[in-house]
Amino acid sequence: MAGAARAVAGVAVADGPGRLGIGIGWRHELDLSIARLPGVDWVEVVAENLHAGHLPETLVALQDRGIPVLPHAVSLSLGGAEPLDTARVEHLAEITRELGAPMASDHVCFVRAGGLDSGHLMPLPRTREALDVLVDNVKLTQSIVEAPFALENIAAVLEWGGAEFSESEFLRELTERTGCLLIIDVANLYANARNLGTDPERFLDEIPWERLAYAHMAGGVERDGVYHDTHAHPVVPEVLDLLRELRRRTDPPGVLLERDDDYPPDSELAAELASLREAVSP
Amino acid sequence: MTSPRERLAAQQAELLKALLAGGDAPAGFDADRLLIEANVLRNKQSRLAAFLRPDLAEALGDRFPGLFREYSASHPKTDTIRARAYADAFGDWLVERGEVPKPGRRRRRRGTGGGGRTAWWRRNAGVGFS
Repeated sequence: MAGAARAVAGVAVADGPGRLGIGIGWRHELDLSIARLPGVDWVEVVAENLHAGHLPETLVALQDRGIPVLPHAVSLSLGGAEPLDTARVEHLAEITRELGAPMASDHVCFVRAGGLDSGHLMPLPRTREALDVLVDNVKLTQSIVEAPFALENIAAVLEWGGAEFSESEFLRELTERTGCLLIIDVANLYANARNLGTDPERFLDEIPWERLAYAHMAGGVERDGVYHDTHAHPVVPEVLDLLRELRRRTDPPGVLLERDDDYPPDSELAAELASLREAVSP
Repeated sequence: MTSPRERLAAQQAELLKALLAGGDAPAGFDADRLLIEANVLRNKQSRLAAFLRPDLAEALGDRFPGLFREYSASHPKTDTIRARAYADAFGDWLVERGEVPKPGRRRRRRGTGGGGRTAWWRRNAGVGFS
């Protein structure tokens, strides 16, 4: 569909961020590496780790080189059924403005409920009820964050009963009702295929690719029969294969490598970035 | 009269209570999967606490994960305490139990060049990822 501007009654469809290329998740521990790594077209930064008015110098230096910096939130709990914590959304909005970013994002998940904080992205029931809550929270978020907003699929090790949608149907409904963009995390898709038995190719067949902002890639490890999306290991070949499958269906505007622990030498990161670039080359 | 949103809120609270605070397993979930998820959450919180308080990780060595597990099971992280304060509360609990010595006036913290004030960006660094 040319232009990707699917008309949805009463819903403004967000513009994508445009051509991003190959990027890496900016972390303080990696800031010097990122500055000298070849082939970093853009970076994504965890919004909660930034303070408005005090952007890290190394991040500002990247911006000065013309490298886009996109904020990514982890704590909005947009699938949470308790009232949305709009102070967190305001912070994301402020960071997004300060970065001059073309979009902002969080995840299809909840992280707080009943006074407890999971500290990790928790899956939602794929029910009409849960979708209604998510849609309401996303619409409120969109009204506060002025930039286009995207939602990312998560990795889960457990599922709620009573699902009324497949994951791809759930994401499609979400985009249609809110006009939001999608970040498709290929490693999370692989994790769910391994751990929950979902069909990754069917997922890829059903995603509304015209809503894709970019793709996430990350490493993980299998322990005791469970694949853990650790972001502390190299990207496994199966996840790279899935990225190639994605590429058969769409030319992703961006692909981002996430590494959050056990940081390897620059040469290994550069090789991983090069392998992502190769996987999405025409 | 319970709205759908209130019903979902209660279900989400029940799930987190089961995973983090020893609550009963909610209906509709596989028991093995709940155990795996509880371990995932505990390990993630444990790694974050070790990152924020490397002095404790160093002092406890291999005992860190087990002691953190014991602490977090009895004091699950609430939504009002920041990660740094939670790690510090774990440290206080360790001192009370005699697991680590009482710290001096200034705790040694990562990223401060050997003591003193923590750089602002370290205070909540390590916030989760996707």
